Amino acid sequence: MRKEPMNQISEKGLRVWRVYGMIQAFFILLLAIGAGVLTYIFEWPLYIYAIAGAVVILYIYCFVYLFPKIKWMRWRYEVRETEIELQYGLFIVKRTLIPMVRVQHVDTSQGPILRKYNLAGITISTAATDHEIPALVMEEADDLRSRISNLARVADDDV
Amino acid sequence: MSNKRYQLHWVTAVISVLKTLKEMIIPILLIVFVNGTNDTGKWYLDYFNFFIFGFMLIVFFITGIIKWKRYVYWFEDDELRIEYGLFVKKKRYIPFDRIQSLDYTEGILHRPFNLVKVNVETAGGSASQKAEAELTAITKEAAEVIEKEVAEAKRRKFAVSEEEDQEESEEVFVVPEEPLARKIFTMSGKDLLILATTSGGIGLIISGAAVFLSQFADVLPLDRIYEGLSVFIKSGLFLVAFIVFFVLLIIWGVSVGMTFLAYYGFTVQIADEDIVITRGLIEKKKVTVPLNRVQSIRVVENPFRQLFGYASVVIDSAGGGVGQEGARINLLPLVKKKKALSPLQELFPDFTFEVPTQKLPPRSKGFYYRIHFVWMIPVIAACSYYVFPMGLFSLLIIPVIIFWGVWRQRSAAYEIYGNQLTMRFREISLQTVYMMKKRIQSMEVKQNYFHRKKHVATVSAAVKSGMIAFNAQVRHMEVKEAEKIFAWYEPKRVLKETEEQDDNE
Repeated sequence: MRKEPMNQISEKGLRVWRVYGMIQAFFILLLAIGAGVLTYIFEWPLYIYAIAGAVVILYIYCFVYLFPKIKWMRWRYEVRETEIELQYGLFIVKRTLIPMVRVQHVDTSQGPILRKYNLAGITISTAATDHEIPALVMEEADDLRSRISNLARVADDDV
Repeated sequence: MSNKRYQLHWVTAVISVLKTLKEMIIPILLIVFVNGTNDTGKWYLDYFNFFIFGFMLIVFFITGIIKWKRYVYWFEDDELRIEYGLFVKKKRYIPFDRIQSLDYTEGILHRPFNLVKVNVETAGGSASQKAEAELTAITKEAAEVIEKEVAEAKRRKFAVSEEEDQEESEEVFVVPEEPLARKIFTMSGKDLLILATTSGGIGLIISGAAVFLSQFADVLPLDRIYEGLSVFIKSGLFLVAFIVFFVLLIIWGVSVGMTFLAYYGFTVQIADEDIVITRGLIEKKKVTVPLNRVQSIRVVENPFRQLFGYASVVIDSAGGGVGQEGARINLLPLVKKKKALSPLQELFPDFTFEVPTQKLPPRSKGFYYRIHFVWMIPVIAACSYYVFPMGLFSLLIIPVIIFWGVWRQRSAAYEIYGNQLTMRFREISLQTVYMMKKRIQSMEVKQNYFHRKKHVATVSAAVKSGMIAFNAQVRHMEVKEAEKIFAWYEPKRVLKETEEQDDNE
């Protein structure tokens, strides 16, 4: 079996995913409340309350607790001298290898939530594909970006 | 260097008017027909539509002529510079060394005046903006002038860079003034006929006809047609079937004819470092693909052609935009499989065009069809329940899916030859993809829960095709083998060597 890539993404990343999950769950909650109100007004069968409640709880469990955790446990990356290796995926584990010579540019991006936690996402683009490392500590992301762009030299037999 | 400004040939104006007309034809017809000729008693109201139509025609002509008049190109500072635009003057400067190739097309309108349409293909990366240019109609001599300018500029540049490192200076003089074209492949009349009759363009034309009809649905007196149709159906189902068949036959005939015209005189030549493909009877096309832009070579065999030992060869090029002809090029549209080898080997001597021998383990078979039960079971259950006796026939889908799955599993194969990876896989058509390591942009190994339990994995390699990626993937293969391919792709050793060289220097 191949060794897993070395680095995990920041633990704060897990918290950010949880926040994302909570935001989504909030909207689901609103929907559920809407359904409840309608049930109350139109005197629909009572089990609708139960379904709405179950959906919200299940959603919160999956998207706030379980999935971020699995995703975070799975996420690994490693930037070596000559290649970048990623491992990620919730149900399907994907391992991606990007040779440095194929890297064309590297972007960092930061939304409001990521900024609050001092995190940033990094996108590595080759001539044809894009790859993302979703949540790194800001300094680490900047450092990684400059490292990658230093390492990625344009080869002669580039496309 | 002269900064003389060149204009396009006046046919450009005609072509642009015709093009606008073609685009506008449906709205115009709609306006004319929907309003019809209502009798208001005042002639200028009755014929109002025709005034509009006439007015638009005149506007098209004038804009066409202005556009042609304002389109100029010239050579300056090793760039092809174009200035154009109807109201807003636009400029586009294309450096010569960004120009990958000049592709020629000769339409019916070009022929009598000895003109060509020139498409300037550039090496547009994913990040850079679209920089292609189209010169709608210029004389062949003018096209040659452009070609010469580009070639000269490139040579100059080459020479300058050569001066810097003396070692390879000999090569400058090796580059011939007029590259000699060598014929690699021509399509025989028989092959052309087979290509035309088995072409997949049929579906396209059917859908085209459907689209066309739907455009006119509002215009046609549908009520009357339906009335007529019901009488027509009563007169016998056989007749209906016959008419349908007859229509399909005509559509097929048109498709055969169109393919025949498009691929007539198909020739592949190699000139210097470029592949030059010429084809077409009415509209002659000449496409140039620099050899070093070829990303992967794909041999595609659809089951029907496979039966008779025919295949087609497609190459992915890094040039061209999304969905453009530039990216995915029919190198050999139809060829006996045995005969494909020699032209391919001649064009790409670095490749090994062998059939990959590494097959998948038997235990991966289930992965090819099991997933389909997820939708099959509800569908079959629903069919059987709602349409009781007849619905049971939906069970027949199970053996079909299983057969398809096993077929795909058996077809899948892979092999590594030195720096080359060969992958073979099938959806319906069998595809064999030949890729060089340096052309693979990234590689991915995927495993879901069931894969891990059975120790299989899916390997996918991305190569550039135009602006997007083409993913070649062998699914559900032995995990150890997948990791072997992954390790092969890892650039570690190769780069260390070059680094050592760097250090030595």
